[in-house]
Amino acid sequence: QTTYSASSPGCKSVQLQCWLSAPPSMVSTEQRQHAEHIFLSFRKSKSPFAICKHILETSKVDYVLFQAATAVMEAVVREWILLEKTSIESLRAFLLTYVLQRPNLQKYVREQILLAVAVIVKRGSLDKSINCKSIFHEVGQLISSGNPTVQTLACSILTALLSEFSSSSKTSSIGLSMEFHGSCKRVFQEEGLRQIFMLTMEVLQEFSRRENLNAQMSSVFQRYLTLANQVLSWNFLPPNHILSSSENVTLKPTESWREALLDTRVMDLFFTVHRKIREDSDMAQDSLQCLAQLASMHGPIFPDESAQVSYLAHLVEGLLSMINGIEIEDSEAVGISNIISNLITMFPRSTLTALPSDLFTSFINCLTLLTCSFGRSAALEEVLDKDDMVYMEAYDKLLESWLTLVQDEEHFPRGCFVQPAIQVFNSYIQCHLAAPDGTRNLSANGISSHEEEEINELQEDDRELFSDQLSSIGMLGRVAADHCIPLLTTLLEDRVTRLHGQLQRTQQHLMASSDLGSVDRKVLDELYEDIHWLILVTGYVLADDPQGETPLIPSEVMEFSIKHSTEVDINTTLQILGSPGEKASSIPGCNRTDSVIRLLSAVLRTSEVESRATRASLTELLSPQMGKDIMWFLRPDISLYTAISIPLSTAFGVDTEGAQWIVGYLLEKVINNLSVWSSETELANDTVELLVTLVEKRERANIVVQCESWWNLAKQFASRSPPLHLLSSSVQRSLMKALVLGGFAHMDADAKQQYWAEVLHPLQQRFLNLINQENFAQISQEEAVKQEIVATLEALCGIAEATQIDNVVSLFSFLMDFLSSCIGLMEVYSNTPETINLIIEVFVEVAHKQICYLGETKSMKLYEACLTLLQVYSKNNQSRKRSDATAEEDQYQDLLLIMELLTNLLSKEFIDFSDTDDVFRNQDQGTPASSRTVSAADVVLYGVNIVLPLMSQDLLKFPSLCNQYYKLITFICEIFPEKIPQLPEDLFKSLMFSLELGMTSMSSEISQLCLEALSPLAEQCAKSQEKDTPLFIATRHFLKLVFDMLVLQKHNTEMAAGEAFYTLVCLHQAEYSELVETLLSSQRDAVIYQRLADAFNKLTASSTPPTMDRKQKVAFLKSLEEFVANVGGLLCMK
Amino acid sequence: MADLQAEFESVSSGASQTYPIQCSALRKNGFVMLKGRPCKIVEMTTSKTGKHGHAKVHLVGIDIFTSKKLEDICPSTHNMDVPNVSRKDYQMVDINDSYLTLMDDSGDTREDLKLPEGDLGQDIEKKHDNGDNFLVSFYCRIDINIDFDSFPDLPMHKHLTVG
Repeated sequence: QTTYSASSPGCKSVQLQCWLSAPPSMVSTEQRQHAEHIFLSFRKSKSPFAICKHILETSKVDYVLFQAATAVMEAVVREWILLEKTSIESLRAFLLTYVLQRPNLQKYVREQILLAVAVIVKRGSLDKSINCKSIFHEVGQLISSGNPTVQTLACSILTALLSEFSSSSKTSSIGLSMEFHGSCKRVFQEEGLRQIFMLTMEVLQEFSRRENLNAQMSSVFQRYLTLANQVLSWNFLPPNHILSSSENVTLKPTESWREALLDTRVMDLFFTVHRKIREDSDMAQDSLQCLAQLASMHGPIFPDESAQVSYLAHLVEGLLSMINGIEIEDSEAVGISNIISNLITMFPRSTLTALPSDLFTSFINCLTLLTCSFGRSAALEEVLDKDDMVYMEAYDKLLESWLTLVQDEEHFPRGCFVQPAIQVFNSYIQCHLAAPDGTRNLSANGISSHEEEEINELQEDDRELFSDQLSSIGMLGRVAADHCIPLLTTLLEDRVTRLHGQLQRTQQHLMASSDLGSVDRKVLDELYEDIHWLILVTGYVLADDPQGETPLIPSEVMEFSIKHSTEVDINTTLQILGSPGEKASSIPGCNRTDSVIRLLSAVLRTSEVESRATRASLTELLSPQMGKDIMWFLRPDISLYTAISIPLSTAFGVDTEGAQWIVGYLLEKVINNLSVWSSETELANDTVELLVTLVEKRERANIVVQCESWWNLAKQFASRSPPLHLLSSSVQRSLMKALVLGGFAHMDADAKQQYWAEVLHPLQQRFLNLINQENFAQISQEEAVKQEIVATLEALCGIAEATQIDNVVSLFSFLMDFLSSCIGLMEVYSNTPETINLIIEVFVEVAHKQICYLGETKSMKLYEACLTLLQVYSKNNQSRKRSDATAEEDQYQDLLLIMELLTNLLSKEFIDFSDTDDVFRNQDQGTPASSRTVSAADVVLYGVNIVLPLMSQDLLKFPSLCNQYYKLITFICEIFPEKIPQLPEDLFKSLMFSLELGMTSMSSEISQLCLEALSPLAEQCAKSQEKDTPLFIATRHFLKLVFDMLVLQKHNTEMAAGEAFYTLVCLHQAEYSELVETLLSSQRDAVIYQRLADAFNKLTASSTPPTMDRKQKVAFLKSLEEFVANVGGLLCMK
Repeated sequence: MADLQAEFESVSSGASQTYPIQCSALRKNGFVMLKGRPCKIVEMTTSKTGKHGHAKVHLVGIDIFTSKKLEDICPSTHNMDVPNVSRKDYQMVDINDSYLTLMDDSGDTREDLKLPEGDLGQDIEKKHDNGDNFLVSFYCRIDINIDFDSFPDLPMHKHLTVG
C-alpha cells in the first residue's frame, strides 16, 4: 500500500543524511534544508511501519536508523486507534528484539528505539491493550543474565519507561490530554514503578556485596544507582491531580509502598552503598541524594506515628554512624547537608522529640560540629576564591535547618539549643573577624591573604548577598542572647575604640606629612571589615526580618531585656544612649545598663566616630561601606523603636525625651552624611532613604519638624547652595520627597505657612523668574540655566512621589501650575532629548501618584495637560527620524515614557479612590461635570496616534518597549473597545497588525495579552450589530487565526485563547461553520473524518446557537479542553 | 525663510568657558571635558577598589566636534570641567571667499566662520544665492575647531568641520 518502493527511501535517506552531517563547506544550505525537510515529512507520512522495519533491518547509517525509530514512534501514537492491537504488540516485540540483537548500536539510536517501546507501553497501558507485566518479566531476565552489556540495556529500558510515565518535561509529547498522562502515571506508580524499584534494589544488593568491581561493572552499578535515585525522586501524583508541581520533589509514596520502603534493609543498603563508593564523587552524589530522598519521606506510607519515629531513629542512627569517624570529602558536603535539611524540614516536631533523648542529643551535637566545620571550610573557599563553593552551599543549607529547628523551639526541651547556638554563633563571628580574635582571610596554613579587588556597582552588598545566613545567625544569636548580645557589645566597643585611636594617630601623622598617600590603610581596612560584619550581625540579631517592610523588635530581645531589668539602672542606660561621644566604659555605673540599649549605643558610637572624623576632614580615610552599614542599622523602625520600647518595657513611664533625642541624632547624622558623602551615591541614597522613612510616619515627622536643623536643611536645599547641590539627581529627588512629606507634619498654621514659604515657594519663584526672562530662549542652552531647569524638574518628580491621600489636594494644585510651564519647556528644549524625557517623566509621576485620587474635574485638568504635552511632542517629532540600525534602547526612552504615561492614565479605570470626590469637595464646587471636554480616552487615543506609527517591528525587539506597548494596547481594547472602530484607517490597521503580530510571533506572555484584547473587540462588534465595518472584518480574520492556533497547532489551551475563540465564534457563526467544513472536507480518511466531525459537534453541542452568555461560555470552554485533548494530536498529522 | 536653520558648534570667548563640578553630580547625556575635549557623556559607571574603598567614576564620552569616543576614570570626589556649550542664532548676511558674514540680535557681525564643506555648505550657498532669508545658529567654544551641525529640513544631524 505504501507509495514508496521498498528500497528507495533508504538509499535516499543515506544521501540525505550525508548532506545533513557533512561539513558546511561540502553541502549548500539549500541541500541541508532540503534534507531536513525530507526527514520531517517522512516522519509525518502515513503508516510507515513496513518501510521503517525495512530501514532498520538494512540501513547501516545511524542517523537514518534514528529517524526511522522516531517515525515509528510518532506514527504509532498518531494512528493508535486505527491499528490492530496484535500488530502493535508485534511491533513492540520487534523493536525490543532488534535492540537486543544489536549490542553495538550507537547509544542515541538505541535510546530512541527504547523510547519508542516505552511510548507504546504507555499508550497501551490505559486501554490495557499492552500487558505491562510481560515487559518487566523480560527485563528481569535480562538483569539476571549477569552480562553487563545486557544489564545496561535493561537499565536503559527501565529508564525510558520511567521518563515516559513520569508525565514531566522528559515525557514525549504524544498529543494527548494531561488527563491521560495523569491517569497513566497513577496506574504506573502503583505497579510498574515499584517493580522497577525492586529490580534496582536487587542489582544494588548484588553489587554492594562484590569486592573488586571492574570498570565495566562499576559503570553498570552507577547506572542502577542513578535509576534508584530517579525512582526515589518520583513525584508521586496525589489522587485527583492531573499535574504535579515539579520543584524540589520530596518522597511521598502511596500506601502500597509500605512493604517496599519501610523495610529497614532498604535504608541500610543505601548507607552500605554509599560507604562503598563515597570516594567516587559522581556516584556519591547519587547515593547521598537517595538518602536525602529517604530522609524526606512522608505521607500515607507511615501507618502510625510510632512507625514514623522508628523510621527516623533508624535514619538518624545510620547517618551518625556514617558521618562519625570519617573525614568528609568535599563532594559529600552538599549531599550530607541535604539529608539533614530534609529530615529536619519534613518530619513533624513530635517525631523529632519522640526520638530517644541521647540519640537526639547526639544528632544535635553532630549537627553543631558539622555546621561549624562547614562554616570554616566555606570561609576558606572564599579566601581561595573558588568557583565551586560546595561548602558555602552546604553551610547555607545547615544554617537554614537551624532556623527551622529554632523557630519551633517551644516543641523541644527547654534550652536545648542554647549551647549549640553559642557554638555556631561564635564560629560565624570568628570566621568574619580578623586575627587574633578571628580567622578572616587566613588560608589553611595560617597565612593571611588580602587582596584589594575591583568591585563594580552591580555587585550586591553583603547584607543582601548573605541575608539568609545572617537571618539564621541572628536567630541563633537571640536564642543565646545572654551570651551573644554582650559578646557583640564587647567586640564592637573594642573596635570602635581602636578605630578612634587609629584615626587620631593618622591625623597626627597627617599634620606632620599631610600626604594622604603615605597613610597605611591596612589597619583601618581591617577594622572597617570587622565593624562591617559586627554591625550586620547586630542588625540581624536585633531585628526579625531586616529586609521586610516594617521590621519589629523580636520578642526574644524584649524578653531578654525584661529578664535583666532588675539589674538595670534606667538613668545610666539613658546616659549611655545619649552620649555617643564618650567611651561607654568611662561612664560611671556602665555595668548596670540595659544590654540591648548598650549594643545599640555601640553602633551610635561608631557613627559618632565617623561623624567626628568627617568634621576633622578625614572623610577620605573613612569607609563608605561602613557608612552604609550604619545607615542601614539606624533605620528608624529599628533604632527608634529599640530606643523607645526597651526602656519602656524595663522601666515605667514613657520616654518622650529619649525619642526626641534619637530623632534629633538621626537628623544630624543624615544632614552630615548628605553634606560630606555626596560623592558616594549609594551611601547618599541609603541616607536619604532613612530620612524618608523618618518623616513618612506622621508621629515621627511631628518630632522632626521641631528640630531646627530640619529647617536649615530645607532652606539650604531650597536655595540650591552647596554642598547639597552636589548630590546625584536620584538623591535630590528623594530629598525633595522627604522635605514635602515633612511639611504635612503637625505644625501651627504660621509655622506651616512659613515652612512652605521656605521649601516650595523658592522653587516656584526661581523657576518663574528664569522662564519669564525675556531672553530665556537665548540663554536656555547655557549650562547653568539647563542645570537649574533640570533640578526643578527633578524636584517636581520628588514632590509627586510624596503624594499621599491626605496631601494630594495641595500637591496637585501646586504641580498643576508647573505642568503648563513644563509644556512650554518642551518647545524650548525640543533639541535636548534628556530634558524632554525629564519633562515627560514629571507627567508620568504625577499621573502615577495622583490620578487615582482625582475627581472628575481634576482628572480632566490633568488629561488636558497631558493632551497638550502630547500635541507639542508630536509636533516637534514629526520630521524627526531616528537611525534604526545602531540605535540603543535608551534612545527610545521618550516613547517608553509616553506609553507609561498613557498606561498610568488608563489605570484610573482599575484603581480609583476618588468616587466620592471627598478630598476635593470644597474646591470643586461650581464646576458642573457636563462641561467635561477631554476624557481619558481622548488623551490615550491621541497618544496612541503618536506612538503607534513609531513602534516599528525593530523597536518591538526591545523587551521593555515591547511589554509596555502590548500592555497599553490591551488596556485600550479592554477599556475603550467602543473607540477602536473610530480610529483613523491607518491607525486602525496598524493596531490590528500589532495584535496579530503579538499573537503569532511574540512571547507567550504577549500572545496572552493580545488574546485578552480580542474578546472585548468581538463583543463590541456584536453590540454595534453593523456588518462589514473594518473591525468586523478584522475579527473575522482573527477567528481564523485563533481557530488555527487551537485546532491545528500544538497549543496549550489557555483560558484567554478559549475565551477569545468563543466570542469570535459567536460573532461569526457562519464563518466558523465554514472553517470547520473546510477542515473536514480536507480529510480523506473516513475514520479521522468521523472522529473530527464528532469532536466538533460535541464542542458546540452545549452552546447552540452560541450566544455571549456566561453559562454557555463556561460550558464551551470545558468542551474545548476536551476537544483539544481528543483531537489535538490527530490534527497535527500531515 | 526663517525655518531654514543651520547650526554651528563652537564656544564663545568669555570669562568661563568651563566650570568645575563634582564628578558625582554629572549626569548621563550631559557635557564634560575629557582629555581636554568637550564631550557628551554616554556612559557613567562606578566602581571601588576593595570593599572599603571610595567610589571611582568611569566616564565614556563622545567628543561633540569629532564624534571620537573618549574615556576617563577618576575619584568621584574630583571636580570635572564642564564646558559651557551655548547656542546662538545669527542672521545670514553674505558669503565672501567662502567666509560667512553673520549678524546677531544686537546687529554685531562676525566674519570669521568659514562656509562648511559638503552638503551643508552647498545648501547654505544655494539658499543664499536664492536670496532666501535664514538664520544660522551655532554652539560656540573658542580654541577648538568650529563645527557645523545642521538640520534645515534634514532629519539627522550632520557634523562638518571647518578651520
